[in-house]
Amino acid sequence: MKKPKSIGAALATAVWDRGVGVAFLVPGLILLTVILVGPFMTTIGLSFTDLSYALPDRDGNFVGFDNYRRLMRDDPVFWQSVITTLQFVAVAVAVEFVLGFAVALLLSAHIRRRRVVLTLFLVPMMLAPVAVGLIWKLMLQGDFGMLTHYLRTVGLLGEQTAVFSDPDLALAAVILIDIWQWTPFVTLVMLAGLLSLPREPYEAAIMDGAGRFRIFRDITVPLLRPVIALVLLLRGIDAFKEFDKIYILTGGGPGTATELLSVYTWRVNFRDWDLGYGAVCAFMVYLVVLILSAACHTAMTYARGASGNEGRRG
Amino acid sequence: MTRAWRGAALAAIVVVLVVGLTPYLWMFATSFKTRLDTLSDVPIWTFQPTLEHYPEVFLDKEYLPLLWNSVAIALGTTLLSLFVGVPAAYVFARYQFRAKEDLFFFFLTTRMAPSISIVVPMYLLFNYFGLIDTKFAVVLAHTTFNLSLVVWMMRGFFADIPVEIDEAAQLDGHSRAGAFARVLLPLAGPGIAATAVLCFILSWNEFLYVFILASFESRTLTVGIPGLVTPHGTLWGQVAAVAVVATLPILIFAALVQKHLVRGLTFGAVKG
Repeated sequence: MKKPKSIGAALATAVWDRGVGVAFLVPGLILLTVILVGPFMTTIGLSFTDLSYALPDRDGNFVGFDNYRRLMRDDPVFWQSVITTLQFVAVAVAVEFVLGFAVALLLSAHIRRRRVVLTLFLVPMMLAPVAVGLIWKLMLQGDFGMLTHYLRTVGLLGEQTAVFSDPDLALAAVILIDIWQWTPFVTLVMLAGLLSLPREPYEAAIMDGAGRFRIFRDITVPLLRPVIALVLLLRGIDAFKEFDKIYILTGGGPGTATELLSVYTWRVNFRDWDLGYGAVCAFMVYLVVLILSAACHTAMTYARGASGNEGRRG
Repeated sequence: MTRAWRGAALAAIVVVLVVGLTPYLWMFATSFKTRLDTLSDVPIWTFQPTLEHYPEVFLDKEYLPLLWNSVAIALGTTLLSLFVGVPAAYVFARYQFRAKEDLFFFFLTTRMAPSISIVVPMYLLFNYFGLIDTKFAVVLAHTTFNLSLVVWMMRGFFADIPVEIDEAAQLDGHSRAGAFARVLLPLAGPGIAATAVLCFILSWNEFLYVFILASFESRTLTVGIPGLVTPHGTLWGQVAAVAVVATLPILIFAALVQKHLVRGLTFGAVKG
């Protein structure tokens, strides 16, 4: 208990504490405003101009909603990249989730040296995405790639085909590579979720003679629901933003077969130098991520409760 | 668990590990292979190792400064993010004020912000101040995601410290700021260390900001590697050598903070 103080001293302390709080918080907010909110607002501003570094007389004149109209009506390539992105995100995240959850279940059973196994298993996701891209580029080289050779040996790949010169194969390959890199993330989080589950419901279910599958379906999955939602959203957001690996592996090609939204946005801005229109694309990407982040925030609130991580929030 | 089931589970884990590690080990091996061995039609698994690629690319092609850039930028953004973020996290953990959760959500969105969406205006901004191709510009850019990582992770670590400790420190005559600096910070030390390592890793692995904002003098290893890939005759031994140097330290760091990885990557929502 606090020592009794005079009212004046208590007030002074309270004001001082408040000041400390503000002083602690404000630098971060200013920094983020300057380097993030500012640029974001600029993006929105640019989206109403015709700024381009490649075409004459396009020095940032106000054009109203022209860029937005162009996006909606006259840009099939953009919409194609939306579809490609949806395919990429849906397939990659779904497979990552199923595989990663399965491995987490395996590891949650009593396994000797779980720590070591997990550490090794996490290697792909700790690598820089650029390095991942290069590793697989090397493995899938048309003439001497290690994997290309074995795929041809077992007849899964034609003698004359290279993975990244075939549109369908290229998309499938970048999805598989994303799965290779990020399945460990699902495992890591789901394993943490599994290991933090309370014991009592399981003991009760076993007493009632419930089978393995029923326990999984009626106890494990419902208890983990917030963590599952969180994992899906976090992976979804990251997959939606994917750029590095695609840039290294295919550059969006062949043609536009692997051109995800972020790659298309990059191309409009830094190949065509069409910054006004590029800002609209950039804004669209940001908008989707913002919406997903809001969902993510909700999931986090529930996940904190579920994994007993509420702690003491002052 | 029956014996057969156990055997199947172990076999599955072995398969998963082999699939997970082989590509990386192949890259690792390639960095020690001669050009002839790398380009062989049939994959070569046993070979006479050579060390030639490492000095070739780091000394002859002058990739050594890139390593320094990677270290300097990652350290810079880590320090800046901690310096600004740790006090903010403390406020989120201990103070009550209106719009607290909204502000906290704001920090989350900055962590999620797609770099492709803000890199153009960021380029214009830094260009205006003559900061293009400086390490400082990249440090600032990387702080957009690392600062919020610090706030989210450290809020959890501070919340784990019982409030009674603050009260005891204030009874001992510390002011609130004094209690934070002399009592809470040391207690949160391990958490700060783990957060720092994660910041370092995220910055080190980042590609797009460096690629756009600093593609010459201040580029890092991650941006340097693709520069070695050319349409005609990529020297894969050198690519692999740089990739190994760019990834091995990170793998070691990651193993060190593995206990805290879950918390860092889920923004404190799931505890490891």
